[in-house]
Amino acid sequence: MIELRNVYKNFGKLEVLKGINFTIEKGQVVTLIGPSGSGKSTILRCINLLEQPTKGQVFIEGKDITVPKVDVQAIRKDIGMVFQHFNLFPHMTVMENMTYAPMKVNKRSKAEAEAKAMELLKLVGLTDKAGAYPGKLSGGQKQRIAIARALAMEPKIMLFDEPTSALDPEMVKEVLEVIKGLAHTGITMALVTHEMGFAREVSDRICFIDEGLILEDTTPDQFFGNPQTERAKSFLEKVL
Amino acid sequence: MKLDFSCVWQYWPFLYHGALLTLKMTAICAVFGFLLGVLLSLVKISKWKPLIWFGRFYTSIFRGTPLLVQLCIVHFGLPQLLGVTFTTTQSGILTFSLNSAAYISEIFRGGIQGVDKGQYEAAQSLGIGYKDMMKDIILPQAVKHILPSLVNEAIALLKETSILSYIGAVELLRAADQITVMSFRFFEPYLVIALVYYVFVMILSALANRLERWVNRSDRVA
Repeated sequence: MIELRNVYKNFGKLEVLKGINFTIEKGQVVTLIGPSGSGKSTILRCINLLEQPTKGQVFIEGKDITVPKVDVQAIRKDIGMVFQHFNLFPHMTVMENMTYAPMKVNKRSKAEAEAKAMELLKLVGLTDKAGAYPGKLSGGQKQRIAIARALAMEPKIMLFDEPTSALDPEMVKEVLEVIKGLAHTGITMALVTHEMGFAREVSDRICFIDEGLILEDTTPDQFFGNPQTERAKSFLEKVL
Repeated sequence: MKLDFSCVWQYWPFLYHGALLTLKMTAICAVFGFLLGVLLSLVKISKWKPLIWFGRFYTSIFRGTPLLVQLCIVHFGLPQLLGVTFTTTQSGILTFSLNSAAYISEIFRGGIQGVDKGQYEAAQSLGIGYKDMMKDIILPQAVKHILPSLVNEAIALLKETSILSYIGAVELLRAADQITVMSFRFFEPYLVIALVYYVFVMILSALANRLERWVNRSDRVA
């Protein structure tokens, strides 16, 4: 479903990714773990081309999306992304946030888009907020709406970039519950998170990233129970 | 010293038509200036260097020379060069719109760059194209932040239309001039049009306030 082949990314002189190789099979949930600045988020952002790799290839469903002249929009509409800072559109109501792209990009009718949005609002438990503006929602509610907004595009892949890092502690759980509910429903998921317990519970695989390289790519039990590299060991000691 | 406003009432049709022209010019130039200004701001934030240079050059010309000189070049200069003559209204619309666009483009550029980059990323991640993203996601948020500056620009424009009198357009100031010539009274006509400008500006500010409240509706309790 997703394959990164020898991906490099430089920001000016700074080399953030130094040859990333990994794949995510359809329907799998893969979590990227590592210290901040290790390049986890950059990997996610290369999958929907918010960052263009400096070198290497990214394949989505077997198609190389790093070739020139690729239809970036067509690729992105099938890949939902959830951001650390939610990035809801503040001048639109929750309903407008969730129906704008389905109508504009997927050419859904207003009625179709709104029906789908209500269904998703039910899923995230916020049907009563359809008419509210994002400014009036709590962080946890905003993030649940952001997830619902991404899902409204009926993506095949969902990317979660530290979805709970900007939340007050008491709101983390409600967001994780929603994400957990999505895992293993057929949608392919890549997550970056610092919630270790959650990562262990929900992931099929854990990739440990440090300084732009994948140091471990293994099952959660293996990674948390018996990490192979010194870097992973010392990282886990600090965070667990 | 006695004030006598009878001359003003006697010649009030001059003022009436002058006021209409002032309002008409302001409205037309505000609309053209706004549209051109938005386009120019997009030119300035484009990725293509020559476009950016053009945008900067354009703005520097219109900011770097007096509006009255620009008006004279358009109204008196261009006909000599191109062989076409403009009516005072045409020259006015052309000059004020182009001039306003330069200022508005700077306001917009600032407003656009002030929108959080997460908004771009969210829009992009949803597959929204550049045009729709700018039109429906970025610009509405930019407008919200720059509305006070835009209102200032509109007010400046309204007052600056008075220099159209220099090329002979009978707007408010020129109308007052004509009354002074006919009545030999100066203070009263000028005082009256000063008041008319003032009232127009107040009305514009009040409308802008309402607009601002409407634009900021998303900040209120839904």
